[in-house]
Amino acid sequence: MNKRLAVIAAIMVFLAVFIPLASSSPDGLERVAETFGVEEHAPFWNGIMSDYAIAAIGNPYVSTLLAGVFGTFMVLLAAFLLGKAIAPKNPEALE
Amino acid sequence: MHIPDGLIATNEPTSLTIAVGMWIVSIAFLAWSWKKAKTTYSRSITALLAISSAFVFAAQMINFPIAFGTSGHLVGGTFLAVLLGPYAAMLSMTIVLLMQAFFFADGGILAFGMNAFNMAVIGGLSFFLIKLLTRGSAGSRRFIPSVFAASWLSVMVGALLAALEISPAFAGGIMVTVPSMLFYHAIIGLGEGAITAVLISSIQRMQPAIMGGLTLLKEKTKL
Repeated sequence: MNKRLAVIAAIMVFLAVFIPLASSSPDGLERVAETFGVEEHAPFWNGIMSDYAIAAIGNPYVSTLLAGVFGTFMVLLAAFLLGKAIAPKNPEALE
Repeated sequence: MHIPDGLIATNEPTSLTIAVGMWIVSIAFLAWSWKKAKTTYSRSITALLAISSAFVFAAQMINFPIAFGTSGHLVGGTFLAVLLGPYAAMLSMTIVLLMQAFFFADGGILAFGMNAFNMAVIGGLSFFLIKLLTRGSAGSRRFIPSVFAASWLSVMVGALLAALEISPAFAGGIMVTVPSMLFYHAIIGLGEGAITAVLISSIQRMQPAIMGGLTLLKEKTKL
């Protein structure tokens, strides 16, 4: 159990260290759209923390880090529930 | 590689048909992986599933520069496939993509079917390439090279599909999207391959017991 918590903590440290180092250049797909002058039309869903930023927090590092930590925990929770959902009905499945 | 809804022209039949079609195809694959997962995994998968999915979400936030003012990030589909096997990997990556689309508008809603297929389904399917190349043995000398190759290829196949799917938005169509997407992703894929190979070989060295995917499904996986 402690080992699992340690890995989760390590993921948080990973985010804290690497968020400021991450490249802000467009990714491959965005670059292709820019190169050929394709205008994206306005999306109908802007998310809750668009662009991994929390609007209420001014500091961009803190804003992105908190968004990242939030997202990581949401994925952790959802995947945990997925695991519970797929596993219980097959006691004789392979370990 | 996340396709935004902004690149899908809702007033254009081709673009909309592709988006809806990919939703249907992805749902079919996810239903299949759900069904297979239910007969494949034991409860002991839960912690590994949760933690590896969370890691992939975090890793996808960190873009690394390639060249030409362009960046890429780990997709992690092959990484999940090796750890979890193809079925849980597809479901796991779908969760990552869902959270990205819903909370962060990273990847569209209408485009979700495309993104789920390009990254979650293709990532999961890369398992079968590794299985084939290593004859199902993580102890094979070809294991890590296979992981590298499958990671690179999963990014290339995903990029090719994305290029086809977004082509209606481009005046030049597939003649411009396919070569340019493949060009950038051939480089991004090297990052994917290197990161995945390092992660998998480290995990194999430090925690051989959790190298679940390949051994778990050794006998059972048949497409």
